[in-house]
Amino acid sequence: MEKSSKKFEEELQDLEAIVTRIDSGELSLEESIGAFERGVALVRSLNQKLDEVEKKVEVLMRDAQGELKTVPYEPAPATDESGAEDDELP
Amino acid sequence: MGEQAQLPLQKRPSRRATLTVTQLVRTVRETLELTLDEFWVTGEVSNARGAPSGHLYFTLKDERSAVNCVMFSSAYRRLRFKLADGMEVIVRGRVNVYEARGAMQFYAEEMEPRGLGALQLAFEQLKQRLEADGLFDPSRKRPLPFLPRTIGIVTALRAAAIRDILTVILARFPKLHLIIRPARVQGPGAAADIAEAIEDLNRDRRAEVIIVGRGGGSLEDLWAFNEEIVARAIYRSAIPIVSAVGHEIDYTIADFVADVRAPTPTAAAQIVVPSMRELSRRLEETEATLEGAIAGVIGGYRKEVGHVGARLRYPLGLIRDARQRADEAGAALTAALLAGAAASRRRVRELGLRLRGPVAAIREGRLSLSRIAIHLRQAATVPARRFGPDLERASARLEAAGRRAVEIRRARFAALATRLDSISPLKVLERGYAVVTTVRDGRAIVDAATVAPGDELQIRLKRGRLRATVNSREP
Repeated sequence: MEKSSKKFEEELQDLEAIVTRIDSGELSLEESIGAFERGVALVRSLNQKLDEVEKKVEVLMRDAQGELKTVPYEPAPATDESGAEDDELP
Repeated sequence: MGEQAQLPLQKRPSRRATLTVTQLVRTVRETLELTLDEFWVTGEVSNARGAPSGHLYFTLKDERSAVNCVMFSSAYRRLRFKLADGMEVIVRGRVNVYEARGAMQFYAEEMEPRGLGALQLAFEQLKQRLEADGLFDPSRKRPLPFLPRTIGIVTALRAAAIRDILTVILARFPKLHLIIRPARVQGPGAAADIAEAIEDLNRDRRAEVIIVGRGGGSLEDLWAFNEEIVARAIYRSAIPIVSAVGHEIDYTIADFVADVRAPTPTAAAQIVVPSMRELSRRLEETEATLEGAIAGVIGGYRKEVGHVGARLRYPLGLIRDARQRADEAGAALTAALLAGAAASRRRVRELGLRLRGPVAAIREGRLSLSRIAIHLRQAATVPARRFGPDLERASARLEAAGRRAVEIRRARFAALATRLDSISPLKVLERGYAVVTTVRDGRAIVDAATVAPGDELQIRLKRGRLRATVNSREP
């Protein structure tokens, strides 16, 4: 997870760097077109990354042995702003 | 203490009775217990010291008096600030006598610093200490992941804060993995629970960032986030932590230690999660910029190609000109060759005509011969016998001479025909000769006088053409 998110940011930075380089006019036509093609590939990859993760809300808790386990989150009716009734929770 | 200090009559010891020390002290003690209620006493702390038993001993004094004080461990544990000598405090408690020494002591139940509230003071004290320990060091603040895929949340499961956080996060970025580690956020054990929750999420390791927080409340409600155990847990967390405690104005110790402080839980959700719509828009904009950039580059090169092409047009023109001139020269050459051929043909005809001469002569010869023959026959009729044989011989000789003349003429014609073939321009070129024409009008040059130095000439070889410029001329 960590890796893919870093990649997203890196790719976005790469993409913006490519735009800057093409804009700078320092590249030859062939280099520009090569950079453009890489940019288009990055755009595609970045768009994919935005859709990559499934929505999932879980609750992390400890079982009787103190081992961590996750269960799906089910919204509980809120009590008050303070969360004063939280003593009931494990 | 005026009236309360009046001892009841029945408790007054008799002047004549003799008391043991114990009786005396107990009498004083019981009297005090019966007559004196709780006090709030204010004074300056001195000689404060903790005992191994967990009790706290100190002296409370003002300009003129001092009183020994003890705070038993049960009360001392509830003290939120650290007592120090010189501190002005307000203490609630009772006065009594320590029988073993017959000493008056003040038994403190509760203590507040003067000026600041106890919590405020505790807050300031912990803040100073943790700051000195480097827990707030800006250099250790970690950047949050740009687009976290898994987010840990430490808060009360049933409070409004969790609802706000989830709503905002999922509205901004619908596809995310959220791991909630519920924790009590106020009351006894809350601080330990929060610290444990942070540790659990670190053990779980999936979250890339953790939001720790709760909704607004009183200073006491938020107190767990001012506890050292929470501060240390945040400091130890390998995962960056966003604190989100209370309202905009509430600052807790957790806020100072956290990598990022969000003013509210809702704000934390906004800080941690980028808006997918904004990201998509940014991507679209970048894509458009990318396309604009490449279009600009290609446009620039196209323009350049246009400039170069414009310059290329000049040689193209030259080539066209050259081609046209070559065509013209070719036409001139053809015309010259045709002219040459026509001349040759004319010559052949003339020769042919001239060749006809001997034939005609033979024919005329024959004619005159036959006329002579008639004359001869007429003449011979008379002296035929006389001249007959001579005439036969003369006739034969004449015929032989005519045949010889024809043979000679025929041989000469054949030789001429061969020569004619050899002087055809193409044959000439084959032998290394060249046709030289002017570039200007394609005229074949036969006389040096017809050209001037600098004139351009075209030289037709057997294969290909040359172009030359006249350097000089000799008549």
